[in-house]
Amino acid sequence: MMIIMKANATPQQVEAVIEQVKSAGLNIHLSQGVEATIIGAIGETHNIPADRFEVLEGVEAVQRITQPYKLASRQFHPEDSIIPMNGFSVGGNEIVVIAGPCSVENRSQIIETAIAVKEAGATALRGGVFKPRTSPYAFQGLGEEGLEYMAEARAQTGLPIVAEIMSQVQVDLMIKYVDILQVGARNMQNFNLLRAIGETRISVLLKRGLSATIEELLMSAEYILAGGNNHVMLCERGIRTFETATRNTTDINAIPVLKKLTHLPVILDPSHSTGHADYVAAVARAAIAAGADGLIIEVHPDPAHAVSDGKQSLKPEKFAEMIKQVGQIAQIMGGRLATVHGEYQPPMNKKIKRK
Amino acid sequence: MMIIMYPGAPRAQIDNVVAAIEKQKLSAHLIEGVEQTIIGAVGDGHSVPKEIFEALPGVLSVQRISQPYKLASRQFHEHDSVFPLDGFTIGAEEIGIIAGPCSVESRSQILEIAQAVCEAGANALRGGVFKPRTSPYAFQGLGEEGLEYMAEAREKTGLPIVVEVMAVSQIEMMTKYVDVFQLGARNMQNFNLLRAIGETRTPVLFKRGMSATIEEFLMASEYIISGGNTRVILCERGIRTFETATRNTTDINAIPVLKKLTHLPVIIDPSHSTGDSAYVSAIAKAGVAAGADGIIVEVHNDPANAISDGRQSLTPEAFAKMVKQVKAVAEAVDRRLAPVHHVQA
Repeated sequence: MMIIMKANATPQQVEAVIEQVKSAGLNIHLSQGVEATIIGAIGETHNIPADRFEVLEGVEAVQRITQPYKLASRQFHPEDSIIPMNGFSVGGNEIVVIAGPCSVENRSQIIETAIAVKEAGATALRGGVFKPRTSPYAFQGLGEEGLEYMAEARAQTGLPIVAEIMSQVQVDLMIKYVDILQVGARNMQNFNLLRAIGETRISVLLKRGLSATIEELLMSAEYILAGGNNHVMLCERGIRTFETATRNTTDINAIPVLKKLTHLPVILDPSHSTGHADYVAAVARAAIAAGADGLIIEVHPDPAHAVSDGKQSLKPEKFAEMIKQVGQIAQIMGGRLATVHGEYQPPMNKKIKRK
Repeated sequence: MMIIMYPGAPRAQIDNVVAAIEKQKLSAHLIEGVEQTIIGAVGDGHSVPKEIFEALPGVLSVQRISQPYKLASRQFHEHDSVFPLDGFTIGAEEIGIIAGPCSVESRSQILEIAQAVCEAGANALRGGVFKPRTSPYAFQGLGEEGLEYMAEAREKTGLPIVVEVMAVSQIEMMTKYVDVFQLGARNMQNFNLLRAIGETRTPVLFKRGMSATIEEFLMASEYIISGGNTRVILCERGIRTFETATRNTTDINAIPVLKKLTHLPVIIDPSHSTGDSAYVSAIAKAGVAAGADGIIVEVHNDPANAISDGRQSLTPEAFAKMVKQVKAVAEAVDRRLAPVHHVQA
């Protein structure tokens, strides 16, 4: 950490800062410039809040040199993290494609969609049963009944299932059913939920918040990793900007930036990041070309009658077309699309550590 | 245009709006709902400002149904605009690559870079001679001297040259030298400049403003096209957002959105849209994968000592590597790179 003193800081103020740095267990590197004194605080600083020095008298500004996250950082873990799934893995050479409806609406809808996306080449099934809808009057999801249908769809297709968790009270229930817990954009900084999921050993798909910086996303991942759960995938799903032509703005830069800063797998959700079925395939291709490890796509057998997100959902035929295009990009990037092999294998290590 | 009245707006106000619509030579179509009345203004309304109706008593809001731009619109001109740029065409199957330094710094610098990017597969040379720098104390460009060097680089390599124009007063002089005018992000809504460029017949590389919506971008291009200069290439160069990890945020959505809304060629500038040479290649590939017709990339033979934009400039070697990767992506989406010029001795 670099502590920049005000130009008119007194020697006593500099001395007080030095004392505070030492009391935090850090070493000092003093550089006296022509205009200002800069105090370097050297050591393990990622768990020391910058405000500890910012409040001292005579301090102009405090700048972090190292990243405030550690377990998520590539410095700490240079090799890519690879998360094993049912016969394939996320984060290696294989491109994973998670597909399915926004919401599980009924048994036949989810089973029909599961079979269609499997045939088209999907490697996991998504489907919401607890829905964080903007309006409290909108459909809120089928709850446990929906999980039963998801499990049935998995039994029929072999596709691992991804469902969103909205609250830590749902953890016990959901881990009985799902292979991957999705933490939605609106819960990216629901820290109690993140801690509770960190205590489990179930894979997590962590979505970037609508107005979260990349650093904030990585700090949220750190909450889960700090609990001992290493199976975290990050998901760019578009950010809020001034542009209104699309629902969100896909921050495509986030793909190479995250691949540089973290070892965790990075996937992209072009359905939410564009909000429009017409743009999903183009942005899906862009994501893989930019280095993403996978995609999560909303697919609905009848988008016009979907209870949620119909406008951004692909029909199974359009999805199959998209998969072909994405496969071609994956190939020239030196990878390939993941495929689900054989029978469904129940996921391992699902027990909660502390209960 | 749809004019939505306040709930309970009296008949007299509705009649008044209808009269205003008819005065604009549009026909009024009344939809009387349970809660409020909506009046459709039907006809060619793209040149009628919304404000005419917004200001009338009893009007809650006015929504445009058709786009406020016409010449730039795909509705008006269904097929992709394709035009030749000295050695290649832009807007069709070929992907064009424009490369070069941010600024022309010296004769030897631009000649050396021109040679290097030409060999690596560039189809056009960029280089600024009038620089819109944030700080008035920063290097402002070599001016006409720089144009002479650019012209010399073109002679040596055969690459057409792309140079930014900053003011109406520069147009006449620049027309003598450049093959493509660049209009920079900061001038996207410099309407006098747009009109003046519209009067020329030099192709234009038109960059999106940092805080401009896609619609504003298309409206601005309409200024140029309506002057009769139809050869406009749109360029996404990143927008301003809350994210600070990169200089700008590449609005990759803008590529398929623009390809849907307009017939004009669309290219991407990953150098400015990321601001970091480490990310340029990934975003260049993403741009082409999303359907862009070309890319513009900053290349410098010595980025560490570049006068401007060193951090986002690729070395010629990194650029050559990027071209190979972009070529593979182009082929994966059934496109191909524009043919490479043969360097003259």
